[in-house]
Amino acid sequence: MQTIFAMGWRNIWRHRRRSLVVISSIALGIFAMILSMGIMNGMNNQAIENTIRTALGHIAIHRKGFHEDMKIAHNFKSTDRIMRSIAADRRIAAAAPRVKLPGMVRSSETSQGVLIVGIDPEKEMKISNLYQYTSKENGSRFLASPDENAALISQQTADRLKLVVGDKLVLMLQDRNNEIVGVGMTVAGTFQTPVESFDKLVVFTGIGKLQEITGLGENISEISIAITDPAAITDIKRRLIGAIGDDSLEVLTWMDMAPYLVSAVKFFDTIMYITFVIIFLVVVFSVANTLVMAIMERFHEIGVMKSIGTRPSWIATMIVFEAVNLGLVGLVAGVAAGTLSVAALSIGGINLGLFMESLRAWGTGSVIFPVIKGMDIVVAALIVLATTVLAAVYPAVKAARIKPLEALHFV
Amino acid sequence: MNIIELQSITKTYDTNGLTVPAVRGVDLVVEKGEFSALAGPSGSGKTTLLNLIGGLDNPSGGTVSVGGENITGYSPRQLSDLRLRKIGFIFQAYNLIPVLSAIENVEYILLLQGMEKTERRRRSAAMLAEVGLEGLTDRRPHQLSGGQQQRVAVARAIVSEPDIVLADEPTANLDQKTGAALLDLMHELNRTKGITFLFSTHDGMVMERAERLISLRDGVVEHDRVKRRAKPRSAKRKR
Ligand SMILES: Nc1ncnc2c1ncn2[C@@H]1O[C@H](COP(=O)(O)OP(=O)(O)OP(=O)(O)O)[C@@H](O)[C@H]1O
Ligand SMILES: [Mg+2]
Repeated sequence: MQTIFAMGWRNIWRHRRRSLVVISSIALGIFAMILSMGIMNGMNNQAIENTIRTALGHIAIHRKGFHEDMKIAHNFKSTDRIMRSIAADRRIAAAAPRVKLPGMVRSSETSQGVLIVGIDPEKEMKISNLYQYTSKENGSRFLASPDENAALISQQTADRLKLVVGDKLVLMLQDRNNEIVGVGMTVAGTFQTPVESFDKLVVFTGIGKLQEITGLGENISEISIAITDPAAITDIKRRLIGAIGDDSLEVLTWMDMAPYLVSAVKFFDTIMYITFVIIFLVVVFSVANTLVMAIMERFHEIGVMKSIGTRPSWIATMIVFEAVNLGLVGLVAGVAAGTLSVAALSIGGINLGLFMESLRAWGTGSVIFPVIKGMDIVVAALIVLATTVLAAVYPAVKAARIKPLEALHFV
Repeated sequence: MNIIELQSITKTYDTNGLTVPAVRGVDLVVEKGEFSALAGPSGSGKTTLLNLIGGLDNPSGGTVSVGGENITGYSPRQLSDLRLRKIGFIFQAYNLIPVLSAIENVEYILLLQGMEKTERRRRSAAMLAEVGLEGLTDRRPHQLSGGQQQRVAVARAIVSEPDIVLADEPTANLDQKTGAALLDLMHELNRTKGITFLFSTHDGMVMERAERLISLRDGVVEHDRVKRRAKPRSAKRKR
């Protein structure tokens, strides 16, 4: 066996350049694969994470129907039992109440339809990144209390309404009796998130203030929940439903609330897999082609090997082993290059500021931090090895079937 | 003991609808310890006959026995194993596996036979020493002269102590002197180890040295002459 491997190995280096071309094509394929996988993973993760950390939270508890129609009647009163159910699960990091109402924001210049979100500033800091996204410059600040008569608006909204920090704005919304009410407020701060649609749509104010204006009292629209173990999300949801045991409420994960995000990630994955298939086809053909050429060149010597008693299966094994060698060398080089670049790029991130606008639309932010999972690399490596072996099957069978006599004639 | 028994062997080739009779009824017995040569003009069927004996080709008619085994109707795999166990081959040229060193080429046969590594090494080294290549064991074929390569081929052919060594014009690519030395070597191995050799040749020197000369013409045996045992030249020369 050792000798057969040594032969396979030496045979590769008989045509150094040709082998290097194949090896580098394999390496390049894997490198491209790992890098694009890393970037794609990073983008997907960031898009999901950003959406979770702005609008959705990991899990939300709503009154049934609220998710489809945010009318005021779909609000509910939080109970001890709900709070205890949440507190009981150690995989839940934090929870915060919100009131969400459609309305308008008006400045002296113009007005805009928005979603008005009432938050408890202190609790909100534990479940979302709104605090981090809020500017701390030019007097801009986060909300100080749930009852503060002040609003946070996005930089985008501020620009459109020609508002700066300290200006007055008016929030218009329906109260409990379907009366339109307008409340004047001060702009406490501005924020900018990586999710463009979110910035366009949302205005924050204190939850207590909003409950007071609308006459909601202690009613809220949702309890937004952040968890520590994203993989356990469906289990946590199931457990919560059981623990709360209230048919009028529903527990939704971010995947329930944003199916478009799930399908977008799936779509990107599909594109990636198609790319991989193309890369693999290239690998298969270049390996198979090289081996067929190699066999043609070694026709005579394979004839000698067979005539002195080498079994066909040995010849086939040798050829497959050559392919495995080519694959392994390429694999090691490609995986090394790929993981190193992903690791290097993940430190500073890839700044895609140039494509900022489209990335904001997708909600990833302008700096992508590539992420690659060890398992992905293992899977990719195994697939590449399997493909090279597959590519070797035809040449190996061909070599095994060479008739010694014909090959001996061939010099 | 009869190492080789050919009974009414015929072989016809079909090329583009044209049938070429290469061997037309040969009966031949080769006994253990012979040092024999197949001679005859080009196209007389020497190579064809050797290939049939070596199981590299199938006869159109007749039976071939090697080492008491009737090999007619053997599968490629069985023929492969037969060659490995019973036959040593030496070809005209380009005999060796280029990616293996001299000693690895010799070892290769023992490896195929499943011999354990240290024993393999030991025997191959001894064999190479016997053919006069002590210092060159780690060279690759392209680093050896034609004569040295043929010596490695001889070492490889006999290292596993086969029933018979078949050599198709082993000296054809060598100059007179190198050819003579190679022949001396083989003759010596024949005498000291009792290894049976069967050559095909055009080379007058080989015919002269052979102890039995089988002349072929147009695919049949024309003469079959057992000469006296010739004295190998190597006995007089220092090796
Ligand atoms: N593969 C083949 N296909 C068709 N005809 C063949 C084949 N091999 C040999 N022949 C024919 O069979 C006959 C015998 O050929 P063979 O090679 O045995 O002769 P030879 O005695 O070895 O000749 P040489 O001394 O030139 O090597 C020749 O007429 C040759 O043309
Ligand atoms: Mg011939």
